[in-house]
Amino acid sequence: MDRGEMIRHLAEIVGAENVLSSDMDLELYSYDASLDKARPDLVVLPDSTDHVSRVMALAHREHIPIVARGSGTNLTGGSVPVKGGIVVHFSRMNRILEIDLANRTATVEPGVITLDLQSAVLKRGFVYAPDPASQKVSTLGGNFSENSGGPHCLKYGLTSNHILGAQMVLDDGTVFWTGGKALDNPGYDLTGLFVGSEGTLALATRLILKLIPAAEAVKTMLAVFETIEDGANTVSAIIAEGIIPATLEMMDNIVMRAVQETIDVGFPLDAACVLIIELDGMRDGLEEKAEKIMEICRRNRVRDFKLAQDEAQRAVLWSGRKGAFGAVGRVRPSYMCCDGTVPRTKLPRVLAKVMEAGRKYDLPIGNVFHAGDGNLHPLIMFDDRDPDEVKRVHLLGSEILKICAEAGGTISGEHGVGLEKLKETHLVFCHADLEFERRVKQAFDPKGIMNPGKMIPEPDCAT
Amino acid sequence: MTNPQDRFQDLAPSIGESSIRTDPETVAAYAVDGMRPGAVVFPKDTQAVAHIVAYANRKGLAVVPTGSGTKIDRGNPPRRFDLVVCLSRMDHMIDVDTANLTLTVEAGVKFRDIQARLATEDDRCYLPLEDLETEAGEVVCSEREHRGSFLPIDAPWGDRATVGGIIASNSSGPRRLLYNHPRDVIIGVRFVSPTGAIVGMGGKTVKNVSGYDISKLMVGSMGTLGILCETTLRLLPLPERMETLLAAFDRLSDAAAFSDGILAGRLLPAAVEVMNRRAAAGFGSNQWPGAGDAPYVVAVALEAFDQAVARMKRDAASLADECGARDQTVLDEHRHGGFWLQAGNLTPAAARKYPGLVAAKLTYEMSRWKEIAALAETTLSAAGIAHTYMAHSGIGIGKINLLLAENGGQTASTAIDALNTLLDGCRRAGGNLVVQRAPARLKPKLNIWGAAGGDAAVTRRLKDHLDPNGIMCPGRFVGGL
Repeated sequence: MDRGEMIRHLAEIVGAENVLSSDMDLELYSYDASLDKARPDLVVLPDSTDHVSRVMALAHREHIPIVARGSGTNLTGGSVPVKGGIVVHFSRMNRILEIDLANRTATVEPGVITLDLQSAVLKRGFVYAPDPASQKVSTLGGNFSENSGGPHCLKYGLTSNHILGAQMVLDDGTVFWTGGKALDNPGYDLTGLFVGSEGTLALATRLILKLIPAAEAVKTMLAVFETIEDGANTVSAIIAEGIIPATLEMMDNIVMRAVQETIDVGFPLDAACVLIIELDGMRDGLEEKAEKIMEICRRNRVRDFKLAQDEAQRAVLWSGRKGAFGAVGRVRPSYMCCDGTVPRTKLPRVLAKVMEAGRKYDLPIGNVFHAGDGNLHPLIMFDDRDPDEVKRVHLLGSEILKICAEAGGTISGEHGVGLEKLKETHLVFCHADLEFERRVKQAFDPKGIMNPGKMIPEPDCAT
Repeated sequence: MTNPQDRFQDLAPSIGESSIRTDPETVAAYAVDGMRPGAVVFPKDTQAVAHIVAYANRKGLAVVPTGSGTKIDRGNPPRRFDLVVCLSRMDHMIDVDTANLTLTVEAGVKFRDIQARLATEDDRCYLPLEDLETEAGEVVCSEREHRGSFLPIDAPWGDRATVGGIIASNSSGPRRLLYNHPRDVIIGVRFVSPTGAIVGMGGKTVKNVSGYDISKLMVGSMGTLGILCETTLRLLPLPERMETLLAAFDRLSDAAAFSDGILAGRLLPAAVEVMNRRAAAGFGSNQWPGAGDAPYVVAVALEAFDQAVARMKRDAASLADECGARDQTVLDEHRHGGFWLQAGNLTPAAARKYPGLVAAKLTYEMSRWKEIAALAETTLSAAGIAHTYMAHSGIGIGKINLLLAENGGQTASTAIDALNTLLDGCRRAGGNLVVQRAPARLKPKLNIWGAAGGDAAVTRRLKDHLDPNGIMCPGRFVGGL
């Protein structure tokens, strides 16, 4: 089928105005938040499950790659159409279909912006817990595909723990439901398999999300330390005390300075790191636990400790963390956000090695990360106009993942494998592991049209 | 294929002669739904499991894995059945990392041994330690962290079940309200695939998106996608205080008002369990004369910081009064542990007295629980079937035991009709009904896995790809997979 005919067929399904094919359009859909780039052949904007199903059936018949896209905030190239084909952009499927508080669920289309859903349920006293940093922009469908994390994962788990079911469309257009509002439907946990599968198995067109009651009370604290070790030891000591905070976030000196230069949040420019600690739950006992945490911080030579007294102060304490990524842009024109995870107790040693690697490649690294669950986000700062620097960035990124894997961790905590980490999968998987993944993939996508070239390396580069 | 010994002899060089048992006594002890395997093998490590499965795959032998055998009754009778792989010898705790709150164990490790290992120096433990009968091995206790931690799964058969079986069957109990279920606790697996390959996914980090979440696929797959050999799980710090409030009610509507009231507020109980008189009488209520012959008892598990437990106890007690509780009491930490352990053991305890017992798990949208509880009550009472009923409030799961002494003739057909009525009711409420235990000769007449879901075709596709020769538990799972 030639291109013109394909456009006509797709236009019959979604309407001519919802098939994008101009040079400019294709350029706009050629990248996401990663460093990769590739143009699709066409872009379609479906408005219903039926649209998606018919587009898929057509693509299946014609052997055309299908790449789903939400807001394109992916950090590993998951939404970059490396093999061309059709990008299915879910922007029009952005309806919150139902908020069912009696069953503590929300049913949404995949194009709903994460924060929009969160704001809608919070008004009614409920929370959808996964809170990726991109929540203002990212879509729930994207969160589903990538199994997104966020600061509150420490206590509440990842996206996967908050998805009860989904309507899925297979490669050939077959529509079916997995999971539902009732739990434990007998059979395989296909929902659990689809979450985080990066659009390589099937596409979700409706999601059933789990809602939880908003916490009665929140205590937010900020602690500044002279050394990274003191900060990291504080993290371990809090958990050893039997306290699981909702979040334990850390920023190092480079990031603190960048933030302080952008907005005055009162960070001392010469401290080594800052911890943001948030407790939530029933109000009873929280005060005592906050005092306990202060005591632990003191024991670990805290330099400065603040406890937010109200919502306004809480917002100030968080503003530094939330503005961190943006502020880093002041240091160098570009940054690459790495994403590795290690067992929490390995953090100080791993961080030291990461910084050493940065010196080796002569690139500054800032660290802003989820210390509570051992999820590092080294930000490699560079100038994307300097090809030599770009080359070193990739080498350094790879080396950081190797450091994480060697420490008993993994190469991706919450960003996925996508394109960027294909070559590092061998650090954590052996031949048999990857072969098993390929079998799973083949069971769903025998023609290999679902987001091809992602997540699982081709057999020959696996060894 | 005549002499059973000959059929399995080839395995001896790779896993050791002593690991293969074909004597009639052993084989009879591992029968499934009355069918005896040709042999029972006891691998000592993952490598041995891989040898066994690769061999079975080559020869087309049908394999059923087992641990303590607590849930071996689940599922349809096997379509074919040659070999039992018993993981009881794979009982090593590989890595107990309480600082990171993760645990890596072999699949044959018992749930109770894990909890004992994680107890505090002064024996504060998630399970009541002295209630646990010690069988061959003593309860393991070493390297305890001062504060104590626990594996946050509320597993039935808590004193016998192995961790592998708990995961393979996705077992959970009432305290799932607070702690979720095995799928949310598991962060890594190492298993032998149906073709005999050793596959590992996930690891010691809670966040991990480096590949497909195969751990989740293994949870609840009932041994049909491979044999789970090792698993890494998340731990939690031991709650500061653990107590249970029991309240007795004369009417279901009062018990419901109480449990709904608790869940509607700002309290965070670990479980809110509504049970009928026979369920309550099956365990624990003899410790509490106040319940008397009250038709309904609601048990509220409180596991939290000291102050939070104190408030929940206060608020729940006054709410129980408002809802017309006939009596109420509080169980201290030790009795609390015993109460919930026995709650999880209700089915096996009752089955000792009622050999024809049929156990079922009812699922439904959580808001529909009263309707389903009432349906169960009227249907089973009309059928004249004595039964226990337990509803896990706030989760949407109910568990019933039909207390049948035998299962012949009229009783059987009455029970089957009643279960079909309940299945229809659960379907209308968005859920399903799974028969978790039934005498073998009743099974062919029952919808063991309830009504087929919309994902049946996809499930089959996946199974056929991963187990091309159909050797793992053939016939036993959903849709006769």
